[in-house]
Amino acid sequence: MQVLDKTQVEALSQALGEPAWVLEQRLKALEAFSRLPYPSKKDENWRYTDLSEAPLEQEAEAPKGLRLSRDELPESVRQRLEKTDASGFLVFVGPDLVYAEVPEELSQRGLVFTSLAEALKTHPEKVAAALFQAVYTEDKFAAQNSAFFTHGAFLYVPAGLEVEKPLGVFKVLPEGKASFGRTLLFLEDNAKAAYIEEYLSSDLPPTLHLSATEMVLRPGARLRHAHVQTFGKGVWHFHRQRALLERDAGLNDLVVNLGGAYARSEVASELLGPGAESEMLGLYFGHGKQQFDHYTLQHHVAHHTRSDLLYKGAVKDEARAVFSGLIRLEKGAQKTDAYQANRNLLLSPTARVDSIPQLEIGANDVRCTHGSTTAPVDEMQLFYLQSRGLPRGLAQELLVKAHLADVLTRIPLKALRAHIEAVIEEKVRI
Amino acid sequence: MNQLEIRDLWASIDGEMILKGVNLVVPKGEVHALMGPNGAGKSTLGKILAGDPEYTVEKGEILLDGENILELSPDERARKGLFLAFQYPVEVPGVTIANFLRLALQARLGREVGVAEFWAKVKKALELLDWDESYLSRYLNEGFSGGEKKRNEILQLLVLEPTYAVLDETDSGLDIDALKVVARGVNAMRGPNFGALVITHYQRLLNYIVPDRVHVMMDGRVVAEGGPELALELEAKGYEWLKEKVKEGA
Repeated sequence: MQVLDKTQVEALSQALGEPAWVLEQRLKALEAFSRLPYPSKKDENWRYTDLSEAPLEQEAEAPKGLRLSRDELPESVRQRLEKTDASGFLVFVGPDLVYAEVPEELSQRGLVFTSLAEALKTHPEKVAAALFQAVYTEDKFAAQNSAFFTHGAFLYVPAGLEVEKPLGVFKVLPEGKASFGRTLLFLEDNAKAAYIEEYLSSDLPPTLHLSATEMVLRPGARLRHAHVQTFGKGVWHFHRQRALLERDAGLNDLVVNLGGAYARSEVASELLGPGAESEMLGLYFGHGKQQFDHYTLQHHVAHHTRSDLLYKGAVKDEARAVFSGLIRLEKGAQKTDAYQANRNLLLSPTARVDSIPQLEIGANDVRCTHGSTTAPVDEMQLFYLQSRGLPRGLAQELLVKAHLADVLTRIPLKALRAHIEAVIEEKVRI
Repeated sequence: MNQLEIRDLWASIDGEMILKGVNLVVPKGEVHALMGPNGAGKSTLGKILAGDPEYTVEKGEILLDGENILELSPDERARKGLFLAFQYPVEVPGVTIANFLRLALQARLGREVGVAEFWAKVKKALELLDWDESYLSRYLNEGFSGGEKKRNEILQLLVLEPTYAVLDETDSGLDIDALKVVARGVNAMRGPNFGALVITHYQRLLNYIVPDRVHVMMDGRVVAEGGPELALELEAKGYEWLKEKVKEGA
């Protein structure tokens, strides 16, 4: 198996035309992948998760060089393009970058936005400076992604360039094999950008999807990032992202899980330089037997750093959600502010949420709060709304949206917000 | 048939009987007051009319223009034209008044309501209540003072234009100015197609909303009825004399 895997990685790297150092890194990641066991319920971070049905052995599909015109794009993407905040975007169908639209004016000013494979050819030094820096072999799935990823997106924003309109990626997962992709967002000093990742598919047989997002934010860089997952049934989505924030860098992050059979998002902000700050928002709504796991880390390494996390979710039917959030303050992280809140709404007695907020405080001069609530819909509120003529279903829908409102209102991307609201409405009515 | 009729209504909560055979009629076109000491069951009656699931109706009927609505859900009752102004309006963070009110109006009318039509209606109501438009973008009752909450109830009353309204101690906790505003709202609704039952502990509100009839509840029953002068008599003499009278009669 091991030999076969090595041959596979070599063949993949060669097919993608990658430089030697990438293959080297892939092979190191392969070693880690082979060494690490699959997680089980015995692992603290997996104790609420049953992976026995997960299609873990699936192999990823290699790129086929598919290209499409804008009119030939999948219907689901064309619909999204009608109303998107993105001014430039890439579309992936499976591992293939099938379509790209990047404003010429941005390219002229030194911005690079293309597939990882392409960027490795055209701007290898820029990719080399950041790839694998944030997500590499931290666990089994990270290692698997690093060894076997077949495609990815790369955004480079040069120093001082402020891109007002968001850029984005639409990734459509077709029926067939698994899909392993990466995103690398690299912002130089005082650069500014907004970036939206959207993941879509129709209902599929059990399908494995691995994604990793690396964010490298040089001093003073500011990034708004959204990861929005609305896969159809059957998808097992394992997402890991980590942001490295240097001095005075700022991240506004949003993770949305609404689709798939199982979705796990592991989201970390590393506040490495003084003045760095990270706003971390999460939103999820599970129905049927969906399960969404969110594991977050607010890692304050430097002094005078700030993080503010708010994850809100709702579960109905037999859906489950797990929130496990850690605030870790290192010894030197004096004068830091760290906030964390997780709020859950239970819409049925058979739905379940496990919420575990955690603190590890190594510094003494800090402000740090965390809290977690999980409660059913307030019957008094339901009665009040119903007493004005709203049918119970509509009243519930309103209360779900109300519950999620303070995350939604913190999303300044209007079209994205409307899209998320529409998906939530649909799910309430299922 | 054009009336809100309560027939021999018995109801309990947690096994305790609160209503013990209430009989009461509010004809359409009239405003009635329902008075009585604390614990008489006035508010319970209001909540049961609206369909509060916390209470169990043991016996009796509630007839809305001749149709028994006891089996209907709270929202069905509302769509048939029944409205309860809550004694303690519920806070619903995350839902703006504008959004909620438009949905409620659509439910009440059973059709889409355009933005222009909605605004025209709401603006008129706001003017009458001397209330600022900015309230509409606030979350429903969240952080409202007692007076603001009551005003919000009357705003909903004016926009939804029910056929029958029950106002549950809408006067409690209001200063005289707020009281006048609330009364102005209710009086604006008066007419041949509107009936109201104004539940109050004090006579004060009835200076501004002059009732056609007054009913007095004690210990889960309506024990006395009369014209507006009955309210004044109760104000002057308290409820004790009536209690004695009821005992003598029993």
